[in-house]
Amino acid sequence: MPRNQKIALVVDDSKMQCKLLSVLLKEENYQVIIANDGASGVQMYIEHQPDLVLMDINMPIMDGFEATRRIKKLSGEGTLAPLIFITSMDSEQAFIDSVEAGGDSILVRPFTPKVFKAKIKAMQRISDLVDQVKHLQLEQQKDAELAEKMMSGVIEARNFALDKIGVIKKAATIFSGDIQLSALCPNGDIHVLLGDFTGHGLRASIGAIPVTDTFRAMTKKGFSILDIVAQLNRQMFTLLPGDLFFAACFACISEHEKSAYIFNAGLPDGYLFDVKATIKQQFISTHPPLGILPQLLADAQVEVVQVKPDDRLVFITDGIVEARNPAGELFDFSRFEQAAIAGIIQKDLVNNVLRSLDDFCENCEQEDDISLVDVPCSGWQQIKLGNKVTIPEGFTDEDNYFALAENSLPTWSYHLHLTGGLLKKVNPIPLVMNQINDLEGAGEHWQSLYTILTELFINALDHGVLELNSSLKNSAEGFSQYFKERANRLELLADEEKNGSEDFVGIALKYFPLAHGGKMVINIKDSGQGFDILDIFKDNSIAMNDGLKLSGRGVELVNQLCDTLDYQEQGTLVTASYIWHD
Amino acid sequence: MTVSSRISGDGKELVIAIDDRFDFSLHQLFRDAYSTMTTQDLSYVLDLSKTEYMDSSALGMILLLKDHVQLYAGQLTISKPSDTVRKILEIAQFQRLMTIE
Repeated sequence: MPRNQKIALVVDDSKMQCKLLSVLLKEENYQVIIANDGASGVQMYIEHQPDLVLMDINMPIMDGFEATRRIKKLSGEGTLAPLIFITSMDSEQAFIDSVEAGGDSILVRPFTPKVFKAKIKAMQRISDLVDQVKHLQLEQQKDAELAEKMMSGVIEARNFALDKIGVIKKAATIFSGDIQLSALCPNGDIHVLLGDFTGHGLRASIGAIPVTDTFRAMTKKGFSILDIVAQLNRQMFTLLPGDLFFAACFACISEHEKSAYIFNAGLPDGYLFDVKATIKQQFISTHPPLGILPQLLADAQVEVVQVKPDDRLVFITDGIVEARNPAGELFDFSRFEQAAIAGIIQKDLVNNVLRSLDDFCENCEQEDDISLVDVPCSGWQQIKLGNKVTIPEGFTDEDNYFALAENSLPTWSYHLHLTGGLLKKVNPIPLVMNQINDLEGAGEHWQSLYTILTELFINALDHGVLELNSSLKNSAEGFSQYFKERANRLELLADEEKNGSEDFVGIALKYFPLAHGGKMVINIKDSGQGFDILDIFKDNSIAMNDGLKLSGRGVELVNQLCDTLDYQEQGTLVTASYIWHD
Repeated sequence: MTVSSRISGDGKELVIAIDDRFDFSLHQLFRDAYSTMTTQDLSYVLDLSKTEYMDSSALGMILLLKDHVQLYAGQLTISKPSDTVRKILEIAQFQRLMTIE
């Protein structure tokens, strides 16, 4: 309450009437102020901001209707100081006129003190309700602001390597329907998402939390971009009503593979810029936004591109290209591209685009959320290489330290045998990693194991089962041809299955606990023709001298991470052992 | 009137046309244009030849129309979108979900 005693303003040219009403109001605990004509009534209203006004109709200088109109104009919509006409004009017209002028009620003389008091109580009740609504509105606003702070805490604050990603985020209301996420994969790759829920405000931001959770959890478990997109689509289809959907761009940037995997579902073109700000490639939307179809379209595919370390990926939402200036023109793609190019040259893409947008829009009201992410293609956390165990002083030989007896048995083993079409559909690595986490708990040391498993499985599938030649990947054209051919051959695998073909990849793990860590022995066998292992290593020594060469890097990386790495059975069986210590 | 609808002489086609801006403000009008149609096998044509601008909530409204059309085993065609509107439909890959001519 702003003050303890409420103030009532009585406007009446009869001193007798004023006195009478004053007495009654004082009995109801009001402080009373008096004006004897309409004009001074308005003046008193301005000076004292009363809680209740009692108004006579016929008065000199300014009548009650005019005074009421002015007072109601002054009080606006926020507060209600109830205004009651007190009159002896008991006519229908007087009643209609007083409501028209803005009066909240009318009391016709003669009335008893009891009726008068009941009336002002009723009016006070209404004005208290108005105050309550106003109070609630303020509370709601405060809650919304707090909720927004917490949401962005959950969402943006936990993003990976925020300092490396340039971000524009301008919400049209308190809540933004746009979200930006980044997360680190177990093998050191980075996943980035820029998404836009239909509409804006609270309604549009409600899906942000489940999207964030799924994106982070699946990235951490080693699922690929396409796996994550498929899951998010299913989730949004169940969660969102028919007219709401989620347009999003996804990228996986692999620094050691020098490649990026992109999926654009319903956002404007994404861009790949080189260091000189030339647009190297654009990524058009190839799929309807997520949450519309129960499952991804059968031909949904990620786009794979070769990237250089100083390239950058830029994704935008439609809020940027659809921003309008006072003349109603769109900012559009060409203005965005110019601003982005100038920005890269000045080494500040984000601020250059923002400035250019602000200059263009000239304080026009922003209709949609505006967002952008600017992601460099290198400079992410490197995988720790040379993870070989160093034996602490005091232990003379390895076996002693690791305490692994000859012929000791593994505490557990795990086998997975994938055939035919399943090789296309299932990514076994997250399954395997899940098993390991369930049995042995989570730990940093599994990151290298994840890399080893991924590389060896991909080798078995691509070069063994699918018989793809990795030398294709040496040129940029061959690089995309490689992935096209890979998709084709995977498609064939599914068909072969029906014809009874026996293509497979088998994964077997054996785990041996050690006194100060553990040892994992990995066997991967494939149904392919095999290869000459010596050729691969010869290839690798050439690759080492040629930083640009893309193929064969996988085996080299695995070799550095493993304790031992052996190819047998003409290269169709690989045995790797990985040792970690506390 | 920014949303107009008419049924062809033979009663087999409903044409809904949107003028100027197709956005959330037309939500109710747009729904009213088709929601009482319960005839089976009706052809629905959404005429966007006079639509200059469309936002993402309009895409959502088209999806609701599509649900309605499917419920009554009808056909939905989006007709003659301008270049700007076509671009928006293409970004959302709506040609994968319905016919655009």
